[in-house]
Amino acid sequence: MIEISQLSKRYGAKTAVEEVSFTARPGRVTGFLGPNGAGKSSTLRVLLGLDAASAGTALVNGMRYRDLRHPLRTVGALLDGAGPVPERRGVDHLTWIAQSNRIPRRRVREVLELVGLDEAARRRVRTYSLGMGQRLGLAAALLGEPEILVLDEPVNGLDPEGIRWIRRFLRDYAAAGRTVLLSSHLMTEMSGTADDVVVINRGRVVTHGSLAQVTAGHHSLEEAFFALTGDPARPGW
Amino acid sequence: MVSAVRAELTKILTLPRVWIATGVVLGLHALVLIQSVRLNAEAVAGITPNGVIEIFTGTPQPAAEAILGLLAASSLQMGLLVPVLAAMIAGQEFRSHQLGVTVLAMPRRGRLIAAKAVATAAYLLLVAVLIAGISTAFMYAAVQDWNPGLLVTGAAFLGHGRFVAFAVLSGLTGFGITVIARSTLVGVIATIAQIAVTMTQALAGAAPALDALLPVSAARNLLLDPGINRLTAGPGHALLVLIAWAGVTTAVAGITLGRRDAR
Repeated sequence: MIEISQLSKRYGAKTAVEEVSFTARPGRVTGFLGPNGAGKSSTLRVLLGLDAASAGTALVNGMRYRDLRHPLRTVGALLDGAGPVPERRGVDHLTWIAQSNRIPRRRVREVLELVGLDEAARRRVRTYSLGMGQRLGLAAALLGEPEILVLDEPVNGLDPEGIRWIRRFLRDYAAAGRTVLLSSHLMTEMSGTADDVVVINRGRVVTHGSLAQVTAGHHSLEEAFFALTGDPARPGW
Repeated sequence: MVSAVRAELTKILTLPRVWIATGVVLGLHALVLIQSVRLNAEAVAGITPNGVIEIFTGTPQPAAEAILGLLAASSLQMGLLVPVLAAMIAGQEFRSHQLGVTVLAMPRRGRLIAAKAVATAAYLLLVAVLIAGISTAFMYAAVQDWNPGLLVTGAAFLGHGRFVAFAVLSGLTGFGITVIARSTLVGVIATIAQIAVTMTQALAGAAPALDALLPVSAARNLLLDPGINRLTAGPGHALLVLIAWAGVTTAVAGITLGRRDAR
């Protein structure tokens, strides 16, 4: 279970996240939805111990992420802005991550096969396409067979087959009683995957609840999203 | 902690630029020593019956002492590049946002910096031993017909030990500066600046006590023969200075890593 409570994060004078609270529960895919710059990644970075909170708490199973003994065995994460050195081979990138959390070496091979990178494992990461890079990040998240997955824009760069694969995978993952927190700005993707939705805009949560609750009174999640976050003074791009 | 050190060692050993830089340092060292083998052999051939050698014309010295001094000095010249290697190792975290992945895997920053320092020190130790080995091999070529046993005496090993201590400690200083600055380039520039300040000998003449506190000056004080070099402190003082630089920069690196966001 992920519990975010009254979380605020400021970078200098700029407030990225303001008093954000929500819960992601086991057995459900929780969609974290918001436009670019809304505060999704900042919230996830604080949750995962990369950035320090200015106020509030972000807990994983009642503990701070940094207090988890072997965190990758509890939480698997794919974050925008956290990636491998391009000169390193994909298999080597996963190997050091596995070693750091005492994850058996066989898992490196297993996750590479799972995400379809087994044949590219010995290539340098700089030769990977955007989609392959995403798959490598996903492989790293799955290394420790975690009970919680935190994925920031996981379908970026994936082809349609990859998107369908990840949607099914996340549904099955949650169905097995595990927690999935999925951040995205893609409405159609979210409506096909999430059970619960948290909508954030300009650093504040504007609504949260089950997908049915959030979309009630609207034709689609997209319509609900723009109704909740839209700025009539600034139409279009 | 063991798992964290192992992971950091894997990071070092799977980064091609580290291998390339190590190869360049060792290759350059061998190339420089090849040039001096003939000169050293000629100097050894001219050792007088009472054991005096003239490596530098007009400067007669006891042969064993002079050759061991030359051995230490030959390692020192390439050991000065070890902090550059350390900067490259430490700087990998700040390329392509790898630091984010590292902190996800090892979120306890104190443990992380300790693991990084131990792994970096272990790799630099290996490089330092290889540099000392290459120096010994070339010196053997010069002294084999005179006294090859000289290179396996306690005095020779003490000299190697001092060099290895210098290489690892100065490397950790470069590592610490790079992590504090979050930039490989700054780590490399800091290393070059240290070499430049010491090698100009400007500070050694004007303020020897201050000069003795600089890392490269401490290396000279630790390794070189006071009989033919103008030094600014003894070897004990030099070792303490090197330990202090490595300790303080690594500690500050740990503090900054802990306080800043992992970006």
